[in-house]
Amino acid sequence: MNNQIIFYPGTLDEKDGKFIQMGNKCKSCGKTSFPAVELCPFCCSDNGEKVPLSTVGTVFSFSVTRVPVGPYKPPIIGAYIDLPEGTRVFGQLQANEEELKTGMKVKVETGVLWTEKDGTEVLGYYYVPVETKHGGAE
Amino acid sequence: MRDVYVLGIGQTVFGKHTDLSVNDLGAAAGLAAVKDAEISPKEFQTAYCGAMHNIPVVGESILRRLGVDRIPIFNVENACASGSSAVHLLYRDIALGACEVGIALGVESLSAYARKFGKGLIGFEEDHEAKLALTMPSFFAMLCNRLMQERGATIEDICYASIKNHKAGISNPYSQYKKEVTVEEIMASPMIADPITVLQCCPQSDGAAAIILCSEDFYKKHNKKENRAPVRVAGSVISVSGAQDSSYDPLALKSLIDGAKAAYEMAGIGPEDLNVVELHDAFSGEELAAYEMLGLCKPGEGVTLARSGAAEMGGRCPVNPSGGLQSMGHPLGASGVRVVADIARQLWGEAGGYQVEGAQVGLAQMLGGVLSNIESPVVAGIQILVK
Ligand SMILES: [Zn+2]
Repeated sequence: MNNQIIFYPGTLDEKDGKFIQMGNKCKSCGKTSFPAVELCPFCCSDNGEKVPLSTVGTVFSFSVTRVPVGPYKPPIIGAYIDLPEGTRVFGQLQANEEELKTGMKVKVETGVLWTEKDGTEVLGYYYVPVETKHGGAE
Repeated sequence: MRDVYVLGIGQTVFGKHTDLSVNDLGAAAGLAAVKDAEISPKEFQTAYCGAMHNIPVVGESILRRLGVDRIPIFNVENACASGSSAVHLLYRDIALGACEVGIALGVESLSAYARKFGKGLIGFEEDHEAKLALTMPSFFAMLCNRLMQERGATIEDICYASIKNHKAGISNPYSQYKKEVTVEEIMASPMIADPITVLQCCPQSDGAAAIILCSEDFYKKHNKKENRAPVRVAGSVISVSGAQDSSYDPLALKSLIDGAKAAYEMAGIGPEDLNVVELHDAFSGEELAAYEMLGLCKPGEGVTLARSGAAEMGGRCPVNPSGGLQSMGHPLGASGVRVVADIARQLWGEAGGYQVEGAQVGLAQMLGGVLSNIESPVVAGIQILVK
């Protein structure tokens, strides 16, 4: 098996062989932030707990980038996803361009975002439309 | 707080200067400002230098070429608001009485940066959303999509600032481009991030700008430009965003709205008093959103204001008569200084072919940085100048 790393430390936790997005739910102000950082970004409290983020959200806005960015090849669909707990997360959307719509429901998936030259697989999260069934990562 | 005056300004032509180093560019702008102010650089009591992709001790490295030494020199990075931050800190030092005179520089060589790190879109280093391909164009493309969805902007509206500003830049001797563009040409240029095409983006630029600020006492003693009306920095604000949740709308960036209000309050004026504005039009569409956030029109009416012609030369309040970042070019760290220098030039009546007749009050604005979990753009810089 290839060596695997997470694209950004602290964004995904491994639980029972699955990767999940973990945020910080602040017990002082009630806000959930992602990824968890030192203190609550809204109120500076250290009184929080790590919680899994909601897996389904809605697209606030999106854009389609037509040029390469780092390891990604175009078209790159980027979107701000709003979660029911009030957290906004930026992620890529794996969808057909024709079906893209503000307000569409999407769910999170995890998988390989890109593979380094030495074969290291870089894991991360992305979103897919709720209605259609997509396979794993590309 | 003491009054702060503009004693001199200088800049290089913005554009591709592949044969000039960051030091060459900075020294040229600094020297031009010194000549404009007609003082010896030995008078400076402090200096700030804004740059985004920095060489180490860039301010010292530039200013030693003008004989500036043995004073505190600070290097400031705040993305596209780096230059605004340099101006602000110098303003603050003088307003609070910490010194009488100093220079704020802004400098950038994107040619040098590209030689080191290559070309192409880049995200902000160490940011997790940047690693998922969140870039300045992808962020502003989402803002354009919001403009179309929420404000009924058409592609023509999205291209408006690019067309207006390219036209304005033709008469500016310092601008990178001297060429008009049409909607057809803009939309036929390569797509970067829908609906943003190459001709809706500011170019990659090299350049530098400088401004010399001083106290009222120093101004009275040293100003030799008898025919130049005194121009004051009447308000200066650096405003940083707060944590982002799902209630945030990039069409209503709180840091910019509140920062502009604070600057108006400091200056004792309102947006209706402005005669000229220079602002961050890195992407054509964002200028329309800025009209609303700066209070040039009511919230929701940015597209309407654009269509009215009020922001054009001869309109109620011309915006980016210099050509803006679209046509002037955008050497990142330099632009925040350049916009303030341009407003001074307008109020002095020395803007030549792009002069806004009778300008008395002007505003300079910059926005910088796109990051995770914070309302982006991250930093707003606002300066108001009054004659
Ligand atoms: Zn909190």
